[in-house]
Amino acid sequence: MFSLFYGLWKYLYSKTEFHVLILGIDKAGKTTLLEKLKSQYSNLEGLPPDRIVPTVGLNIGRIEVSNTKLVFWDLGGQPGLRSIWEKYYEEAHAVIYVIDAASPSRFEDSKSALEKVLRHEDLQGAPLLIIANKQDLSEAVSAEELARYLDLKKLDERVYMFEAVSAYDGMGIKESVNWLVEVMERSKRTESLRVRAGYSSSASA
Amino acid sequence: MGIIFTRMFSSLFGNREARILVLGLDNAGKTTILYRLQMGEVVSTIPTIGFNVETVQYNNIKFQVWDLGGQTSIRPYWRCYFPNTQAIIYVVDSSDTDRLVIAKEEFHAILEEEELKGAVVLIFANKQDLPGALDDAAVTEALELHKIKNRQWAIFKTSAIKGEGLFEGLDWLSNTLKSGSG
Repeated sequence: MFSLFYGLWKYLYSKTEFHVLILGIDKAGKTTLLEKLKSQYSNLEGLPPDRIVPTVGLNIGRIEVSNTKLVFWDLGGQPGLRSIWEKYYEEAHAVIYVIDAASPSRFEDSKSALEKVLRHEDLQGAPLLIIANKQDLSEAVSAEELARYLDLKKLDERVYMFEAVSAYDGMGIKESVNWLVEVMERSKRTESLRVRAGYSSSASA
Repeated sequence: MGIIFTRMFSSLFGNREARILVLGLDNAGKTTILYRLQMGEVVSTIPTIGFNVETVQYNNIKFQVWDLGGQTSIRPYWRCYFPNTQAIIYVVDSSDTDRLVIAKEEFHAILEEEELKGAVVLIFANKQDLPGALDDAAVTEALELHKIKNRQWAIFKTSAIKGEGLFEGLDWLSNTLKSGSG
């Protein structure tokens, strides 16, 4: 009986931990974004941008925002490494998709990789934040221009937002995180992930 | 390589004792890698219990190497080497495709160890100089690296014989430990 109430108490009051995937093609600035998130929201220094090398695996960042725990999974974006993205979909509450807004020549690659992400059923209902990164560069296009260029068809039923960000100087980071926390808290996907986790933990208890 | 190594790792742990385990099946190239790094003399110890641990002490960092796989009776003794482990370097013979399944099983078993839960993982897809060696993406797939979700990992193509890729991997490792991984 006690364990039943304990389980209920845990279910209701434990801090939710949200998993956020950071995806995008190589050189978009995913790891720079992760390091900036770490330095802005935790007491960890975060690597300076000039020390960041292409990711060939998984980088993790954990931060806490207004009583909510966020775990960021940053995966490598080189073509050969994109095949592992989908292995992380099932447990992700939301996706940040990073695009280098200053590299129009790579928009097409970005767009097709993103469309593939959106088609995957394991990501159904996951809120999507599309980041027009590298706004510190003068040639970067705005979030609106990027949205127009991408012209994504399958976005209608999904909660999404475009945000202009500079992972280099920190512009747009706060807005991005606030939005993510807000939408994840009330997303249906969060509810279904929680129910599933609840079932598995009570089954194992 | 020795000097580069000094620069990367000297200030990393302050005065703390730290341990980096270099693990993999036999013949993966672990000892060759240690020799390549020229950090100091490799000391082999063959204790009576029958498993062979090679140790390189580098300032306050201990690199310890042993073969996974084989006899299960000695496994409990491995735990003596787990405390204070900051990182695991897992070395795979990328050309030995027959034994990749065993390499995978041993790898995931070691990651289950409670005392190693906080360690970051660096994978060397070694022996890239051999014909038929799988590339980093294929080794990632074979080792099922995606199952690792609670710690940072990275994979590098290496050839210990030629000295290729080792520096890049260690650079990642020192950066990751420095930036305070999750």
